[in-house]
Amino acid sequence: MTVCLRDTFSIFATTPTVFPAKANKFWLGGEQVAATLIGQRLDDSNWLRNGITAYLHGSGIEAGYGFFAPNVPANYKLVFELRYPDGRSEYEIPRVSSAATGLRFAGLLDQLAEVSFTPLRETMMKILAYSVWQEHPDANIIRAYFGRARLPTPAEFERGDKGAYDLLFAYDFTFRGRPPNTP
Amino acid sequence: MRNASQRLEEFFFPPEPDTWLRILRTGVALQVIIYCLSLRADWHGLFSLDRAGLIKRDLAEAMLSAQSHYIPRLGWLVDFASRFGVGEQTALTLTWWGLLSAAFMLLIGLFSREAAIATLFLHLCAVKSTSGLTYGVDNFTSIGLFYLMIAPLPDRWAADSWLRNRSRKDNHLQGFHRRILQLHLCLIYFFSGITKCAGAGWWNGTSIWNALIRPPFNLLSPETLIAWKHLFPILSISVCLLETAYPFFIWLRKTRVLWLVAVMTMHLAIGLAMGLYLFALVMITLNIAAFGAEFSFITTETNATRKVAASTSRFDRAAIDGTGYL
Repeated sequence: MTVCLRDTFSIFATTPTVFPAKANKFWLGGEQVAATLIGQRLDDSNWLRNGITAYLHGSGIEAGYGFFAPNVPANYKLVFELRYPDGRSEYEIPRVSSAATGLRFAGLLDQLAEVSFTPLRETMMKILAYSVWQEHPDANIIRAYFGRARLPTPAEFERGDKGAYDLLFAYDFTFRGRPPNTP
Repeated sequence: MRNASQRLEEFFFPPEPDTWLRILRTGVALQVIIYCLSLRADWHGLFSLDRAGLIKRDLAEAMLSAQSHYIPRLGWLVDFASRFGVGEQTALTLTWWGLLSAAFMLLIGLFSREAAIATLFLHLCAVKSTSGLTYGVDNFTSIGLFYLMIAPLPDRWAADSWLRNRSRKDNHLQGFHRRILQLHLCLIYFFSGITKCAGAGWWNGTSIWNALIRPPFNLLSPETLIAWKHLFPILSISVCLLETAYPFFIWLRKTRVLWLVAVMTMHLAIGLAMGLYLFALVMITLNIAAFGAEFSFITTETNATRKVAASTSRFDRAAIDGTGYL
């Protein structure tokens, strides 16, 4: 219940909803009270906080249930541009072996878009770029483009508008040598 | 005061047969088996630090440590295996087989409790080590497994009951665990519904449209969907009402079947239209276990069991004259 309240208040405070903006202060206050109740305002090393968090994760109740709510998240895309020493370049998208993993990867892109701590986002992008480099060890520079595809409304779709792609951020990663475990 | 406390006791400890537990056990075990099989091809790619893969578990596990050091993760198993000279690849393969085997034992009900604990632990290790690649289905699977771990196992259809002669547990204990699951589901739907109600898109139908055309959920083409555009506002408002009002209408006897069927139809439709088959399976399992066990395939046996339970109950009157909550 407390986790549900915390996440619901957080969603109401940080995303556009039908509630007036001046209510955000109330939602933020509610979120903080709920977070306090589950020990999240204790010190990181506090045993009680660690114990409560482990219990919440272990029982699957560490997050609220606001799926696709209050708004369906935008559709995010990740494209890699591979540059080779001879001047060639080619484009690659992340590949998975099954539809099940594909569904999960969409969730990862949503999370990437939500990460506001720039060093963490860069590290996550670097790990993804590294996995592409392992498949293409001859490339020396990989540029990762992360963008948001705006989905058309039904009316826009009927007018022939298929949506648009907005670049959110891009990173260049330089790789040298050969990745481990490659011939 | 005494009356209130008795009513509270009646509410939390109603005599219940173990039908719900069988449904939960088999449904969640099946869920984990399908989870294993669906990720078989990507298993090493997802978890290995040595091989080319989409994302490495070390980042997920580092982020996990920032939250708590006690959350299970695959790194523990790989480190443990390395003490015996077992490499990462072998440890990952063993984990996959371990999870599949534990889930299979849970499915047939052999060493049910041990299997439930092992399945929960290994499943948690896997999903927490790929926290970037998880979604709601993993949480609901963990919820189901957690309830199984603490539930009064074995149920009478479990192999434990007839192979190992394990006796069945008190019906009031069955009722208590089922009641907690029921309350939990009410919370889930209420909060899911209320957050949807706060979004303007759920009142004019654009959220349903966006959900259906958004990759990778776009199994139906927009050209097909657009023909049904007038239905979107009705469907999305229905989803909001169905979820928000779930705690009220699922509780009333007269509306329980209607609400249960409507919610399961919603999950089936989500599963088929958006490719979220596992999500549909786990939600339908939880719903049937919590509120649909009476309407499942062994109604006669359930009723008979209920009568036996009622006659030995401390709450005879409530159970027999129908003043009980269920």
